[in-house]
Amino acid sequence: MSELALIIEDDEDLANIFAEAMRGVGYEVEHIADGKLAQERLKNGNIPFIILLDMHLPHVSGGDLLAEIKHNKNYSTTTLVITTADARMGDLYRDQADFVLVKPISFVQLRDLTSRLKPR
Amino acid sequence: MKIFFDSILNVSVPDPDDARRRRLLNILMLGNVIAALFGLLAIIIANLVAQKFSESDAQVLLGGIVIITLGIMGIYQINRRVSGRWAALLYLLLLTLIFTFTDSPAQLSNGRSLFLYTLPIAISSLILLPEASFLFATIGGGIVAGLALSINQPVNFFSIIGFFMLALVSWLSARSLETALKDLRAINANLDQEVLDRTRALTASLERERIEAGRNQAILNSIADGVIVFDKNWNAILANPAVKGMLSMPLELIVNKNFRDLIEHPRLASQSRSLLYAMIEHDTQPVGFRIIWGEKTLSVSAAQVYNTRGENIGTVTVFRDFTREAEVEKLKSTFVAIVSHELRTPLNAVLGYAEMFKEAVYGPMNDKQVNMADRIMKNTQRLLGLINDLLDQAQMEAGKLTIHNAPLRPAELLDTLHGLMDKTASDKRLRLTSEIDDELPETLLGDSARLQQILVNLVTNAIKFTDQGEVRVRFLRTDDTKWGIGVEDTGQGIPEADLPYIFDTFRQVEGATTRVHGGFGLGLAIVKQLVNLMSGDIKVASQLNTGTTFTITLPLVIP
Repeated sequence: MSELALIIEDDEDLANIFAEAMRGVGYEVEHIADGKLAQERLKNGNIPFIILLDMHLPHVSGGDLLAEIKHNKNYSTTTLVITTADARMGDLYRDQADFVLVKPISFVQLRDLTSRLKPR
Repeated sequence: MKIFFDSILNVSVPDPDDARRRRLLNILMLGNVIAALFGLLAIIIANLVAQKFSESDAQVLLGGIVIITLGIMGIYQINRRVSGRWAALLYLLLLTLIFTFTDSPAQLSNGRSLFLYTLPIAISSLILLPEASFLFATIGGGIVAGLALSINQPVNFFSIIGFFMLALVSWLSARSLETALKDLRAINANLDQEVLDRTRALTASLERERIEAGRNQAILNSIADGVIVFDKNWNAILANPAVKGMLSMPLELIVNKNFRDLIEHPRLASQSRSLLYAMIEHDTQPVGFRIIWGEKTLSVSAAQVYNTRGENIGTVTVFRDFTREAEVEKLKSTFVAIVSHELRTPLNAVLGYAEMFKEAVYGPMNDKQVNMADRIMKNTQRLLGLINDLLDQAQMEAGKLTIHNAPLRPAELLDTLHGLMDKTASDKRLRLTSEIDDELPETLLGDSARLQQILVNLVTNAIKFTDQGEVRVRFLRTDDTKWGIGVEDTGQGIPEADLPYIFDTFRQVEGATTRVHGGFGLGLAIVKQLVNLMSGDIKVASQLNTGTTFTITLPLVIP
């Protein structure tokens, strides 16, 4: 059974690249492009093994989603990776996530990282 | 009455001494006339009562009185119209003559009427000339001697000597009186001149002040900045018209009011209120700060005013409308944020897709295709680097770029640097080496992201301009309070003439180098500004064809 990766990212191209990188190392990928929809998804449905969370999202911000994830016990074992274009913002969330990736995020970099995280 | 007497007695001549003598003569003559009239009255009364005088005696007396009166009237006319001196001389001679007929020669020369001749002596020094007393002493003496001889009596020499003694005293006193009067007049004249001069000076200075005040008011009225002048208790004593528009309130609500009332105005944002309170409650004022007043952003600068004794007498506060600039700044920072996101995101996509080509995600690629993907990646990365530089520069210009110090491990900085730059160096067959001074603490305070940016920038530069050899990065402990970063290469070096300009924005040594090495030359300018933001210093030493060394010195703070 492959692990579920939830990619919350509003840019279709980046989401596509991230998805390809993670699919390549064996994840099952689910993509959500909107903050509001992501909020709904986080309340219901399967608990993903890893979440890739963009900080800059329409309707509901990445920060709000982050707070909800942190407060939800169901996500206590989920690996949380924050992606942002703003290095400053990345520094601010470093303590609250397992990883912070500052854009530009390399395909290889993400593939290698998520590959390492995957249980063997 | 006084005017009547003044009109009779005064003679208007320019010489004040002459006028004084003539007036004195007139007074004497008026006295004589009055005395003569009393004499006439006495004779009439005496005749009516006692028939004392014979008719011939009365005729003589009356004749004498008439002569005296007529003579005096004549002399009065001379005194008024012709000459005071001549009038005085004639009067004195008339007086002497009359005296000579008022008594018997025996009484005149050596008896009760001898004193009569002293009168012309004393009077002459006052109304004719101080020296004239001697003339009348001589005349009086001569008459006395003549009369004595005419009646075969011995000449009374003592009285003649007495006449001269009196003449001497009269002369001296009249002369000193005249001198004193002259001095007094001179003093008065000086005083008048002084008063005149002072008045003129005062008028001139008032005029100057008026012009100056008018000019200052004109300057104050015409400047676009709002100026309020406060006394030392922060009461507004002056405000120019620009203030009215800036604070959108009439000047009457500002002038003669205390600044604290203005600060409490609801249009002022609360944070601005505390800034203004800080300004008035501290002696040392900030150079300038901004306040929000309603819709407007105003910059405030204040300067204390001191008098010549060095006492603080108030404050001049200048308000400048910064609304537009503040909007532009806000737009700029919004623009920077948008550009940051909107440019980086598609570039990230380009980079990702190129990587996917290179990694053959969708099937095998031939060498040429991989090489092309590689080129797309390199160029995209260059573009990303350039955007980052431009954003940093924009943020620095807007004053938005700040330093966030936190504990960091220098060794980690170097590890990351190697991770980022080793490949770039080895691609050019260069060695990238690093070392850490044993004296440097394992942990120190700094902004690791910005330090990393500085290191990457300097090392990228060093690699770019070095064709063979190595790039050395060293972390040093300079002294107790400072640590340093050295980046040394064995590259082409920088011509000495260009060294002073290498930290300038948009500057790269020689125009041609830009085309060979790429970039806009923002890197070093950003490095220098970052180092300055960290309260540090950056220096460069270089020798052509030998190499270049950048040395950064930073304050050493151990957490």
